[in-house]
This record gives sequence, structure tokens and C-alpha cells, in this order.
Amino acid sequence: MKKKIVAVFLCAAMVTGMAAGCGSSSDKKSETSADGNETTELTLLIDTDVTIAGFEAVAAKAEEEIGIKVKIETRPGGADGDNIVKTRLASGDMADLCLYNSGALLNALNPEEYFLDISGEDFVSRIDDNYKSAVSVGDKVFGVPYQSSQAEGIVYSKTLYEKYNLEVPKTWDEFLANCDVLKENKETAILGTFADSWTAQVPFLGDAYNLQQSDPEFAEKFDAGEAKWATTPAALRSFEKLADTTQYYNEDYLATTYDDGCDIMANGEAGHWFILSQALSNIYELYGDQVNDLGVFAVPGDSADDNGITLWYPAALYGNKNSDKTDAILKFMEFYLSDEALDAYSEAVLPDGPYCVKDYEMPDNAYDAVANDIQAYFESGKNAPALEYISQVKGADCPAICQELGSGQTTAQEAAQKYDKDCEKQATQLGLNW
Amino acid sequence: MERKKIYSNWFIVPAMVIFTVFFLLPMVISFFFSMTVWDFNSFTFCGFDNFKTFFSDTSLSSSIKNTLIYAILTCGLKLILAFFLAVFLTSKIKTKNFLRSVVFFPNLISTIAVGITFCALMHPSKGLINQVITMLGGTGVDWLGNTKTALYAVILTDVWKGVGVATVIFIAGMQSIDKTYYEAASIDGATGWEQLKAITVPLSRPAMNSVIILAFISGMRTFDLIWAMTGGGPGYVTEVMASTVYKQYAAGFYGLSTAGNVIMFILIAILAFPLQKFLLSREVD
Amino acid sequence: MKRKKKLYLLGDILGILAAAIVFIVPFVFMLVNALKERREANLLSIGLPKETHWENFIEVFKANDYQILTAFKNSGLLVVGSVLILIVVGSMGGYVLQRRKDSVMGIMNSLIMAGLMVPAAILPTIWVLQKLHLYKTIGGMILVEVALQIPFTIMLFRGFMSSIPIELEEAGYMDGCSRWKIFTTIIFPLLKPVTSTVIILNAVTIFNDFTNPLYFLPGSENATVQLTLYNFMGQYSSSYNMLFADVILITVPMLLLFIFFNKRIVDGMVAGAVKG
Repeated sequence: MKKKIVAVFLCAAMVTGMAAGCGSSSDKKSETSADGNETTELTLLIDTDVTIAGFEAVAAKAEEEIGIKVKIETRPGGADGDNIVKTRLASGDMADLCLYNSGALLNALNPEEYFLDISGEDFVSRIDDNYKSAVSVGDKVFGVPYQSSQAEGIVYSKTLYEKYNLEVPKTWDEFLANCDVLKENKETAILGTFADSWTAQVPFLGDAYNLQQSDPEFAEKFDAGEAKWATTPAALRSFEKLADTTQYYNEDYLATTYDDGCDIMANGEAGHWFILSQALSNIYELYGDQVNDLGVFAVPGDSADDNGITLWYPAALYGNKNSDKTDAILKFMEFYLSDEALDAYSEAVLPDGPYCVKDYEMPDNAYDAVANDIQAYFESGKNAPALEYISQVKGADCPAICQELGSGQTTAQEAAQKYDKDCEKQATQLGLNW
Repeated sequence: MERKKIYSNWFIVPAMVIFTVFFLLPMVISFFFSMTVWDFNSFTFCGFDNFKTFFSDTSLSSSIKNTLIYAILTCGLKLILAFFLAVFLTSKIKTKNFLRSVVFFPNLISTIAVGITFCALMHPSKGLINQVITMLGGTGVDWLGNTKTALYAVILTDVWKGVGVATVIFIAGMQSIDKTYYEAASIDGATGWEQLKAITVPLSRPAMNSVIILAFISGMRTFDLIWAMTGGGPGYVTEVMASTVYKQYAAGFYGLSTAGNVIMFILIAILAFPLQKFLLSREVD
Repeated sequence: MKRKKKLYLLGDILGILAAAIVFIVPFVFMLVNALKERREANLLSIGLPKETHWENFIEVFKANDYQILTAFKNSGLLVVGSVLILIVVGSMGGYVLQRRKDSVMGIMNSLIMAGLMVPAAILPTIWVLQKLHLYKTIGGMILVEVALQIPFTIMLFRGFMSSIPIELEEAGYMDGCSRWKIFTTIIFPLLKPVTSTVIILNAVTIFNDFTNPLYFLPGSENATVQLTLYNFMGQYSSSYNMLFADVILITVPMLLLFIFFNKRIVDGMVAGAVKG
């Protein structure tokens, strides 16, 4: 993908540039940095799936302003990436900073053991409260948001909607009716990008707003081991919706990747795509203003009156507790949350949703889909975080279970039972008594 | 006898030390940790819970089935193909040296690279294989996406990559067969096919046994290729034991994963050792 | 006789044809796509590139701060170190295992052969490496690779030993050679064919090993070539030109090794795997 190549080469060029300019610039640095310190170098372990242009902009600023340089180490995404993070933590070999999911997946890392508790720092008060609870265990807070939050919903092609006179659906049935129209006209009704199996989860995870509306106590009961996905009707509904999508996918959806998906949506070759709104940034980088042919709506519920969107919280930067540079880590985190850093970030990468930082406004040049569609859900207060940010437990095998269901191999009921089993393993590992 | 004086036990010590410390010891330790909930720094003993979890999991039982299909089919296909390739490549054709190299060549490429290439070749709409099929008037298959074909597509790729080594073993076996047998047979008027059945097959039995054992075991342990091509999917249809173990491990369930390792070890042992015994006993006849 | 000659010629032609379709096409496919521009490569066709982009290879070198150079160095050290140790300990081990048939050797033999079948226990191995302060070092990685390849190596050496007449050593012993001298001056030189087999097969396996360095050798400064390819899969998931350029770059060393040792592979196999 172009953006990734560009990013990598920028990165390579930057690092080599730094290395080459090292001898001469280090004494200059100590003059310019605020408290006259030498440049400190931190390492950051990051996966190859995220956009790093924004981070690099901040890092460049940080080197100038506070004399902290961040060296990036990459790891693959997906299960292999999780594995690397867990192995490196367990073997005491983590980089100074680590980028990893917030919410239940953070919980599964056993963060108290490995990550720096930042609850005592002043800058923590800047973090949005809901987000803060997603990066906390008990009273301890561990991370700062890496990027803006995102919507976990449906990206749709306005071009196709106009062509076939469709309206943005408010209920699941209306949505399926729209899909039928597209299908009858030989268009791809729903774009599936199951070659990246995480994308198969979106119809299921993106239904969290509806789940929380119809059963507000589910997350709590689920954590306590009292409620199960297979036996709670509102929860089972999320799996049923995923099952409904099976008949609408493009022919080669099991071989289509997320990157292919960006191309397909940008060219108006599919009607809907269940995805995170970060896809908008990727499409923007590849196709520029064509991104404004796309809109976003929430995974519809069963009632037209209550239509709200599911929020996906960004991954967070965590500090390694056993690093010998904890002061620099804290300083960098503080800087990362400053207005200056956020400005630098959003200058490089436009946001895919609101920031998780208090009193920081979205820049007004955001994509139409973000500025109009997603913003509307915020103004009306109709949004809720995905379940993994409220609940402690997310099954590790969720992508495969969803991929299996979405490709019609299992029924919703079977998938829900499998997922319950999968969560049970996680609960055992966390020491929960189910 | 004097044997003990000539052959000192010390000769085996360096190999055994490395092998014990870095292979046997971890294996023994794994039996212990398979009965714990383990996060590397601390563990809680949990008896046979991990094994129970594993066996109650439907994806595991299907992964055992897939592993067996994989091992038996790759082993069988490699055996048959390699045998005939070897017969062909030990005959008097002129290009045999070149062809031998060609057949062995896939073995030099890393599994990851082979996975990438075949994923591309098997792409449902753009892939070369389907394009050829459509050109010949057939309908393309979604090789890796269709739940019915995915496992077999990976198996065929494995055979493509591994048939070279099996062929070399067979060639080695056939070259060591005494030529006079064939001369005698052709004087007696035996046809090529009869010679093959009466001389080549029985006399290359040791090579055949090596091929069977090596291919079967590598099939049982397969991981890289599955991981590079399908990641166990779509859903769980190409999940094999090693990938299940790896997934539990990646999820941080170290105790559970180690238990899976132990199950795998036991399963391979109860299949492979008797198989080897059986093959060796036939060899003596 | 004439008919037979024709038959062989037909065999030649058919053989080349089949090999071309089954084995050569995938390589041509990799090569042409490595030379294409991104969009063209992503069509996954086997046609010749419209323009040849040799610079893809240069870009692969430059990617991730010239990581591939470090990776080649690491992989090189790993392969050379492991193979050297394997030859030394494997030949010594195979030698006594074949010659002495007492109960101790019987036990050793079954232990080692079990290693041929059983998958390695990964996490406990990390645990052991850490206790020995070898985790994350090339040295530790070498020892793990050696441990994993010992069974197959010993099997080859042991098999080959059975074709060496025992009288040679007995004669040496009569002449008053020490045990060590018998091995180094009489036996080891005779093991040359199988040693070539051991070198090529182990070098290929270790060079292409992806899983073990992933576990035992984390950190970007420790990356091996297979890990760079794996990172590429993530970064360039839709840039097949870069992926294939990397594939070709990292296949070249093994290809050279193969060309060098090609003729000897069969010789070593004859006794190693066939009589073993």
C-alpha cells in the first residue's frame, strides 16, 4: 500500500538522516531543549498495521522541544503481534514504550505487572474519562491515547446510494432491504475483506451500541460469569446480524484484504463495508478527495428511534515499568497529550473520530463522513464504546469465530456458544471465578 | 571385545548435552506447566483442567482430524509422486541432472515465500491457476476461500514444496540397487513394468521407509505453511494441531498451550513409533 | 534399441514440459512480478513487465533502515555457527552410536530419534535460555537450532557409518592410534559425502527457519531474513512487487549453496537416509 511504503521510506530516511546528523546535532540539541538535557532515546514497539505519519510528526516535535527521540521497532499485527508483545513482556524484554489495544485486551496483558502506573501524574486529568477507564485496571492508569477514536460502523458509497435512490437505513431490516436492491442490480451489496480476519468481527462488535441499549447490564453480568452470549437474546442478536450478511458479500471476499477493500470502496465498487472509520484516512491518502464520496452510518438496531453508533477506542502508548528511562517515558507521555503535540498529529493525519482528550476540538477540515455523519452521533449523544472497553473479557479467537460465521459455516447460535467457550479460557487465565 | 576401547562414550557427550539442555529438559518441564495456569512469572496448579478445556473445544477435535488428513495425504502423495519421479530421473534420459535440480529447487525457498506465492497463484479472481482454468472453459475455484478445498489446496502446495527431498531419497535408494539384477531380469525377458515391481519396489524399501516416516512426521507437525497461507481459516477449516497450540500461545494461555503441546507429542508418539516399528519389521523380511 | 532411444527422447521432452508447468512457472511468476510497478504487480499476471523496475530491489534493501543487511549478517552467523557445530557433534555422535550397540547407546538412540518426531516445547525453552542468560543472543539461538537438528544430522551420519568397514578402525587401533586420532584421521575424511548432505540440508532448514527466530531472537537488531520477509507481509500486503523482490533476494544464497553442493546431495543420502 502506497501510504505504508511512503511512511516506511520517510521513516527510513528520517532515521538515516538522524544518524548522519547525529554528531553535529547533539550539542545543538542540548542548547535548544527546554531544560538543557542531552537527547534521550526511547524505543517504541509498534505494529505495522497502524498509521505512523501522525506519530512521527509528534516524535519530531518531541525531539526538538523536550530532547526525547523515539526509535521505532516494528512487529506484525494480528495473532503473531500479540504473541510478540506477550513474549517480550513475559521475558522482561519490552521496549521503553509499547503500543497496544486498550480495554479488555489490555487487561489480558496483566498490565500491573509490566506497565508504568501513571495515575499519579497531572497530565492524566486531560484524558477523557471513558477512555481512562479503558486503560485502567482498578485505580491504576496505564496508557495515553495514540490517535483519535473511531466509529465502528458501516462505510457506504454515496454514489451507489444516489444511483439506486436509497436512503440511509435506520433499522436492520431497512439495511437488508437496501442490500437486496444492490444485489438485484448486480452490485456488491456488502464488501467483505475476510482475508484480514479481524475485519470479519466488525458487524458483530459494531453492534455494541444496540446491545447496550437493549440490555444495559449485560457487560457487568457477563464479567461476573452470570450472562452468556448464547443465552442472552440481545447479545445473540449481534451474532445473528453477522449471519444475515453472509449472502451479500462479494464473490472473493475470503481472499480480499483490508488494503484491497480501500481500493474497492474508493472506486465505488461496493455499497457497504463494515469497518473502522480509520479506512477513511487510508482512502484519503490513496485517493484524496474521493473519500468524500463515502459516508458512514451506524450498525442499525431494531428500532428506528434509537439509532446510535459504536465507538472504537484507539490503542494506547504504555510505558515499560522496568525501563531505566521512566522519567523520559513520563515526560514523553505528557508531551504527547499537549495541544502542541495533538496539533502536530492532526496536521499530519486527519482524525477518524473525536479525540479522547478533554477540551481538544476536532480540526474543521475533517472528511465529510467524520465531520457530518459521525459528528452527528456525538451531538445527539447517541454513541457507546465497544463492549471490550466496558467488559474485562474479550475472547482471543473472536476473528476466527466471526470469519466462520460470516462465511456461513456455522449458525449464530453455534458461534455464540463457541465464543462463550473462548471467553471462558480468557477468564480462567485472568483468574476470574466463572 | 575391544569395541569399548575403540569407541569412547565421550564422543556422544557434546551432542547429548546440547540436545538435553535445549530439547529434552524443556520437554520435561512442559509436562509440569501443562497442568498450570501460567503467565511465565507465576503459575497456579490446575490439575487436568487444561486438557479438559482442550478436548471440550470443538475446534481442537477438528484440528486433530485435519492434522491426520494433512499428514496422511502429504505423505501418500509425496511417496507416490517421488517414487515415479525417481524412476524417471534414474532412467537414461539426457536432461536428468537438470530435472533433478528443478524438482529439488522448491525446497530451497522458505515456507513463507512459498505461501505468499501460492496465495497469489490461487487468488480466486486474479490468480493464474483460475485464469488457466477459465481459459480452458472451466469455472475457477476459490482454492483457499472455499471451506471444502482450502485444506487440500495447502496440502498440494506442501507436496509441491516437499516432493524434491523425497525424490532425492528415492534416487539415492535406487542408485544403490545392483545393476546386475536388471540385466539378469531383462535377459529373462521381463518387461520394464515387471522389473519395476519385482526389483525396484522391494529393493528401494529402505528409502521408502525413510520417506514415509519423514513425510508423515513433518505432516503431523506442519505449521509454517498453514500459517502463511490461511492462518487456520476460513474459520477453522485448516486449523491443525500446531496452529491451535500456537494460537493459544499467542493469546497468552501458556499453560493451555503447553498442554496442547503435550497432547500433540503423545499423539505423534503413539502413531509414529508403531509405524516405524512396522516399517522396519517389513524391511527385514 | 532405436525404439528405446525414441522413448527416452519423448521422456526428456515430457519431463521438461511438466517441469516447466509445475515447477518453473511459479519462479518465473515471482521474478516478473518482482520487476513490476505496484499496480501492475497486483494484477498477479505472469506477463512480462511493461517496464522493468530494478529499483524494487534497491528499495527492498533500503526498507526499514537497511534492516535486510543486518538480517543477512544475523542469518549468516546463525547458519554458519549451527552447521559447524552440527557437523562436529553430529559426526562424533553418529560414529559411536553406530559402532557401539550396548544398552546405554540404545537409550541415547531412542531419545535422539524421539527428537525427530516430537515438536519442541517453546515456552520452557525460553525459560531455560533465560536462566542461562542466552535468551536473545545469537549464541543461544545457534544452540537451539543445533538441538533441533541433532536428531536428523545424527541419523544421516549414523546411517552413513554403516557403510564404512569396521576393519579400518581396527587396523588403526592395532597401529596404536588414539581413539581421537582414529576418528579424526581415519573416519572423518570418509564422511565427506554425507557431510555435504548435512551441510546443505541443515543450512537450508536453518536459513529458512522462521518460527524459532520469531520466538527466541526478538528485537529488530536481531532480525533474520525470514523475519524481514514476514514483516514485509504486514507492511506491503498489497505490494506484491516488493514482496517478490524480497523473496528473490533471500533465496539467492541458498541457490548458490545448492549449485555448489548439488552433485553431492544424492551421495550422502544413499547411505544416510536409505540405510539408516
